[in-house]
Amino acid sequence: MSQQVWKLVIVAEEILSKKLTKLIKDAGATGYTVMAAGGEGSRNVRSTGEPSVSHTLSNVKIEVLTGTRELADKITHLIESKYYADYSIITYISQVEALRDHKF
Amino acid sequence: MSDFLTLFIKQLQSPTLGFLIGGVVVASFGSQLAIPDSIYRFITFFLLLKIGLSGGIAIRNSNFSEVLLPALAAVVLGIVIVLISRYTLARLPGIKLPDAVATGGLFGAVSGSTLAAVLPQLDSAKIPYEAWTAALYPFMDIPALVTAIVVASVYISKRTGNTSDKVEIWPIVKESLQSSAVTALLLGVALGIATKPEPVYESFFSPLFRGFLSILMIIMGMEAAQRMNELRKVAQWFAIYAFIAPILHGFLAFGLGLVIHKITGFSIGGAVVLAVIAASSSDISGPPTLRAGIPSANPSAYIGASTAIGTPVAIAICIPLFIGLAEMMLGR
Repeated sequence: MSQQVWKLVIVAEEILSKKLTKLIKDAGATGYTVMAAGGEGSRNVRSTGEPSVSHTLSNVKIEVLTGTRELADKITHLIESKYYADYSIITYISQVEALRDHKF
Repeated sequence: MSDFLTLFIKQLQSPTLGFLIGGVVVASFGSQLAIPDSIYRFITFFLLLKIGLSGGIAIRNSNFSEVLLPALAAVVLGIVIVLISRYTLARLPGIKLPDAVATGGLFGAVSGSTLAAVLPQLDSAKIPYEAWTAALYPFMDIPALVTAIVVASVYISKRTGNTSDKVEIWPIVKESLQSSAVTALLLGVALGIATKPEPVYESFFSPLFRGFLSILMIIMGMEAAQRMNELRKVAQWFAIYAFIAPILHGFLAFGLGLVIHKITGFSIGGAVVLAVIAASSSDISGPPTLRAGIPSANPSAYIGASTAIGTPVAIAICIPLFIGLAEMMLGR
């Protein structure tokens, strides 16, 4: 009862959260999961949880399960063309086994 | 002059400032003290709602035409402050125009915490002011953010030769109006005008105001100390601008306030509020709006300048300075 699907992970600035989830849904994904995230990268330490006056320096991690590699690539390309230049954002992909019988 | 210095020093000893410095000190020593983000958000909501309520109650009992000139002054100041950064900070060597204009936008926009800090200090100094002056907040905040985003976008599209992207002003205004700070303030104003909130105001909002404000000052102090690291990564000009700009903007606004005082009898206390609103730099609603509106600007530059230096200067120097000036003009 399991199936091979693609897990696309996007770690990005929290202020992009709404735009990214809209982009993901518009691209045709059936759903996504959003988590608060923190860490360090080429654009300095970005964390979640410490007292922060504005959420401009917080991060989110968004996971999307897609049935096909093409859909995952489509989402990645859309994000790349719109946000890579100016925002702290990374994307990576892996193949995972979805345990629930579900149409992705 | 010595009178002014005595008044200035007396203001410096206010508890508001003490809590702010306390926050800076504990954060600089690497204290583990953490105040949850949700508490910070609740406190700013509470303070702005209270300020809005008192403003609304005051508007209900005042002549609406009195509000016009100060509101116009607030709009003009919001725009002029951004233009000043465009023609000073942006011209300095090694400064990118979008970074400079975004910083100007943040300094033109208004800080809810600074606004909350000046009002009880005016009360303590027994300087009368129109309570509706707090409602000038969005009149300066929104034009400043819009101007910054428009100036930066025009510059970027000229440089890249891509003139097809027109700046849409309405989404920026909408986003500013929907921000938590402006919403809380306007909700308070609306409730103050439409209902009679005096019982809950007297028994709940008014007594808790100073206590919550002092906690907010600790948070602002901690935040300032943490953002210093961000500021170290950008050109020193931002630090210098962040120190001078609040004082300069405050004087511009205080001067305008005094002109309106001569024309319409706007109170000197009201001119102090206008000056402090102009001196303050946005910490809640401004940064996300600018991050979305001017994506190419470096957030470390404008957030570092505003939170690490701008806000402490506005609270610690500008508030005592303009209250001291007002006391001197009132002949105390």
